[in-house]
Amino acid sequence: MTKQYFGFSVLEQRSVNLDSEMPAELESLYQKEPSLRACIACGNCAAVCSAGHFAEMQFYRLNVMARRGLLHEMVGKAAACMLCGRCQMSCPRGVNIRHAVLMMSQL
Amino acid sequence: MDSKFHPFVLPFSIGFALMLAVLTVRYVIWLRGLSSDNRKRIRSNFFTVNTWEALVEIFRESLVHLKIYKVNPMLGFMHMSLAFGWFLLIVGGKLETWYYTGDFANEMHYAIFFRYFEPVTSGFWMNGVMVFFMEFALLMVLTGLILALAKRIRKKLMGMQNTTRHSSGNRIALTFLWFIFPLRLFAESATAGQHGGGGFLTANLGAWLFGGDSAASWELPLWWAYSISLGLFFIALPFSRYLHIPTEMVLILLRRWGLESEKGFNPNKGLQAFEVHSCSSCGICLDACPAINIGQEAFQASYFVRGVRENSEVEAKATSCLSCGSCTAICPVGVDVEQLRLDKRSDIFTKARFSHSYLPGSMTLWRDTTEVVLFTGCMGRSNPKTTVAFKALLKEAGLSFVHVDEKDGVCCGRPMALAGALDQSLMMKEYNSNLINGQNGQVLVTSCPICFKYFTEEYNLNIPVMHHSQFLWELMKKGKIKRDSRDLKFAYHDPCELGRGSGCYEPPRSVLAQLGELLPVDKERDKALCCGNNLGSLSLPESDRRQITARTLAVLSANEPDYIVSSCPLCKQTLARQSSVEVKDLAEILLETKPLRVKVPSYSYVHQEAGR
Repeated sequence: MTKQYFGFSVLEQRSVNLDSEMPAELESLYQKEPSLRACIACGNCAAVCSAGHFAEMQFYRLNVMARRGLLHEMVGKAAACMLCGRCQMSCPRGVNIRHAVLMMSQL
Repeated sequence: MDSKFHPFVLPFSIGFALMLAVLTVRYVIWLRGLSSDNRKRIRSNFFTVNTWEALVEIFRESLVHLKIYKVNPMLGFMHMSLAFGWFLLIVGGKLETWYYTGDFANEMHYAIFFRYFEPVTSGFWMNGVMVFFMEFALLMVLTGLILALAKRIRKKLMGMQNTTRHSSGNRIALTFLWFIFPLRLFAESATAGQHGGGGFLTANLGAWLFGGDSAASWELPLWWAYSISLGLFFIALPFSRYLHIPTEMVLILLRRWGLESEKGFNPNKGLQAFEVHSCSSCGICLDACPAINIGQEAFQASYFVRGVRENSEVEAKATSCLSCGSCTAICPVGVDVEQLRLDKRSDIFTKARFSHSYLPGSMTLWRDTTEVVLFTGCMGRSNPKTTVAFKALLKEAGLSFVHVDEKDGVCCGRPMALAGALDQSLMMKEYNSNLINGQNGQVLVTSCPICFKYFTEEYNLNIPVMHHSQFLWELMKKGKIKRDSRDLKFAYHDPCELGRGSGCYEPPRSVLAQLGELLPVDKERDKALCCGNNLGSLSLPESDRRQITARTLAVLSANEPDYIVSSCPLCKQTLARQSSVEVKDLAEILLETKPLRVKVPSYSYVHQEAGR
């Protein structure tokens, strides 16, 4: 079901619901790498990504997927990472991206 | 006294027998875990000169502790007095009984408690030598003990900033150990005071303390106490850090026979078990660690190995570490903590499945010969100044080059290996190998020490690999790049992967020494501090990394250099974001000191990324 507001729409599954509980896997992911909460999806990580030249690898999107509960999709996309660490150097929020991806890829 | 037995020897005898039994069981289990290759190595090397060399090393390291001497003479003396002194007491005791009874095969307790059974001995001049020797050895151990006590009370007296915080079990074992030698001194003195005999220590102390008739009742209790403390220590030994005493000797033998660590994380069998249990928690690695006292949990090698030994949770300890290699470089036992940590990481991240099957083919069919194949690596692409400078220098030297990862590069695979996922970097390795091998070049030069280490160790390329600092020094030696010395002061930062990782300390220093004054740094070469952002660290929070960087910068800028110079893109960026002194790469410095005022090429980040 799609709600209509001012000419653009929000998919049901993407609507923000603050009451919904976090999936247990996501909770444990955030516990293992607390700095993930700091991500504001600015996109720096994707701009410098070595793997991003060849594959669809954008770290901030992985995090957004995780928050939306699309865990399966996230794990699949995380497999492209080379762990080179460029993203971490460019992250303005100090997210431990390499560790986060390692954790994501084995959820 | 005719009898060679008294009930007080029982605690010692029982304790010693129990220790032997437990040790035998544990060692048999560990040895059974050796791989078949390692067993073959033992068989083929057993009757070779290697065994003799191992015995020499056991004498030098397990008894005299020469490596600790080199790190810290006071600490070395302490360890030597305790270990070598005790060894002399044991050997001397055996010789004593042999000399006085003419029988070598005495019971053990007879040699240990010799002075109780034979207070007064007589003989020719040899008797005096024997008595003096034993007293001297005892004095040596007691000196070591006093130093050890002083270290407990005030570690700075022994030149240590940090010492291992021992677990309670180890503290109990330590207490027994400390009681042994003063009790021996007092027991022998009591006997000497009552029955005569003794040497320069015990005769005098005995006459002073235990001379009167009233002191006769002291003698036996003291011998009992001595025996009990020995027995308790021996019972505690196989379950405490003192297991390192016998295990280190076995480890030295196994290493000299050429054994290699079994694959994977198995700290309870095979060579890894011997390695893990050889760590004495001496704490020398603590002062060397750039991350000491940083973070919520102490993850230094000493604590990590102890955790592994005790089968406790070491996940955070394994993933927080920077993998800078300082602890492995300084370890007097030579425990390969780095490898152990990587094995643990691969154990943690077993479920991580990376797939790089999306990588395109990188085979080049034909190319004209080029002199230099340049590989700047992932971090290098975030560091265009270095790349631009290095290319300008190549032009200055008149060399042709091809920059293979200018537009898009694939990671060398080392970061993957540092996360314990060595086998998952295969596709990246294949891509890069094909790319480089197809260039028809003469030498591969990389400006990234991480790539450099991995290319030299794991790749099998058809051309030699050089780090750009080595290559630039070669060019300067050949006179292809000429520079005059200037009034500049440099502090050089050793990247972990280049220095300790690849043993390359001199070339960058030689280059800088030509350009100006190279300032001494408090911790350099194999003792250099990590910039704080080594790719080895996975879970260490950003705030902790920044603390490490600040510490390293304080050491580097202590002598007020004009520039802090590094030759690693990662170190450079990490240091630069917090430094008040300008941080530059070696190539940048070399280009900027060019004598004629030539326009330095403009740096364009956009240009670098334009090929996407």
